[in-house]
Amino acid sequence: MISAVHFKDFKALRSTAVRLEPFNLLIGPSGSGKTSLIEALLRLRYLAGQAPAPGPASALAFLNGPQIEFHFHPPFENVRVTLGCQADELSCHRLRVDHPPGLAGARQWAELRTQLHGIRAYLLDHQAMGAPVLRSAGTELATNASNLAAVLAQRAQQAPVAFAHLVADFCRIMPEFSGLDFRGVGEGHVELRAALRDSPEHLSCENLSQGTLYLLAILTLAHDPQPPTLLCLEEADRGVHPRLLREVRDALYRLSYPVATETTRPVVQVIATTHSPYLLDLFRDHPSEIVLAHKQGHAATFERLSERPDILELMRETNLGDLWYSGILGGIPGD
Amino acid sequence: MKLALLSESPADEAAISILVGYVLGAPFTRVQPTLRARGWPSVEQVLPAILRHLHFNTEADGLIVVVDSDDSVVHTPQHEAPAYHHPGCRICRLRTVFRRTLKNLPLNAAHPAPATSAHPRIRRERVLRAVGLAVPAMEAWYLCGRDTSITEAAWTQGQAAGRVPYTRSELKWRVYGTERPTLPHEIKRAVQEVTRHQGDLLRLEHDFPQGFGSLARDLRSWRAESGH
Repeated sequence: MISAVHFKDFKALRSTAVRLEPFNLLIGPSGSGKTSLIEALLRLRYLAGQAPAPGPASALAFLNGPQIEFHFHPPFENVRVTLGCQADELSCHRLRVDHPPGLAGARQWAELRTQLHGIRAYLLDHQAMGAPVLRSAGTELATNASNLAAVLAQRAQQAPVAFAHLVADFCRIMPEFSGLDFRGVGEGHVELRAALRDSPEHLSCENLSQGTLYLLAILTLAHDPQPPTLLCLEEADRGVHPRLLREVRDALYRLSYPVATETTRPVVQVIATTHSPYLLDLFRDHPSEIVLAHKQGHAATFERLSERPDILELMRETNLGDLWYSGILGGIPGD
Repeated sequence: MKLALLSESPADEAAISILVGYVLGAPFTRVQPTLRARGWPSVEQVLPAILRHLHFNTEADGLIVVVDSDDSVVHTPQHEAPAYHHPGCRICRLRTVFRRTLKNLPLNAAHPAPATSAHPRIRRERVLRAVGLAVPAMEAWYLCGRDTSITEAAWTQGQAAGRVPYTRSELKWRVYGTERPTLPHEIKRAVQEVTRHQGDLLRLEHDFPQGFGSLARDLRSWRAESGH
């Protein structure tokens, strides 16, 4: 959906741009703009839901504060959205839209607004996931996945095939479990439980490991019959054993490349961040999916790994993760 | 026989395990079935430690290592000359690691390991070696017999001419129907394809005489060495 984002004076992103693919893995040190990109996307979603400021996007040029400009893939390639504000304002809270004139252009913007409303960002929190949750809170996975139990309980009822696929994937990846079920607790609350294989015992969510819960949340997103249009996932590798990172990658690919996994839903653009060289290793065949976030002093810039002319030569004898750790690629602390 | 296997992915492992069975013509037991490396450089780096571990702590008769050649130099009959070592050839490099590591380990006949659960009593003197090279990747082996244009010779001629006949991505497409297969799909297709070679490995040895041929020759030499 989004083809590129250009930044001017937005936090550490003083003057940089990033081209976006269906799948994007952002790597870089803290403070290098990874989360700022996600914040910009969430800001876009929020402001696109409001009435845009009148006039063309170029009218924002008079504002001397931060600006973020969004470009889009077809069929929205002629629409441009700019967020901006005055230098003394705290955040980009003004939105201007450039779209082709006439009814057709207005329709394009209306359709794009609907898609922008589907942008979601996740920073999973295992402690929040562990607690029982109101059964009625299961429409859509919360930002920290605190309503995981309610979402899965609702999916088990309303989309049993998708739920069965999720459970099958979960039990394949975590063979110590044989299934998932739900238990009503308190007033209208529900608790998620995982059944131990070859045992009558069930583990409640609060007794599941951090990594198990994160994996379950990622699978919940990957098997969502009504997924977001753009999904941001911070620290995609968190809590997951290095050998299971391939499963994390596959789950996220399932969203970005639905044909590849024999699903028929629309492409979900994915932006994930990581600090794991092991996860990075898994993208050896697709360096175009890696975005390096460089931090130099107080300024940060983005660079797509495939834009480095020597990347294929560099990868001949070394893993991508080792290359990154060595500092050759940049995207490291104290760059 | 008790064998350990080191490769680059679970799918490679599943396919190699089947092919090893076909070459040996006899069932074998997998020792330490959880060995894994993260791509080429990692295989070479971790191999000495794995050999040491297998030597002292397990009853493994042999270790099978198979890696992708990617863009590296492909093993040739010239590399088989005594004391020859091509620094760009992964088979030569892995054999060197085997040789250097094993020569520094005590023979078990002279230094029998204690018979504890952590250090089981070991019968063989040292871990046997089998090294294979998938040119340029395991998917080429999977397509053997299906696509006659995919052979070691086609790849090495393409390398020499500066224009390889197919890419790793193209091989993935042909095997999996996608460049981004899921792990279960990758394993399923790998097993499906190598199972075609049951009872007749001639085609695989003909089309991949160095990469697969080396592996097969190493494995066949074990029968005599191990007495199995």
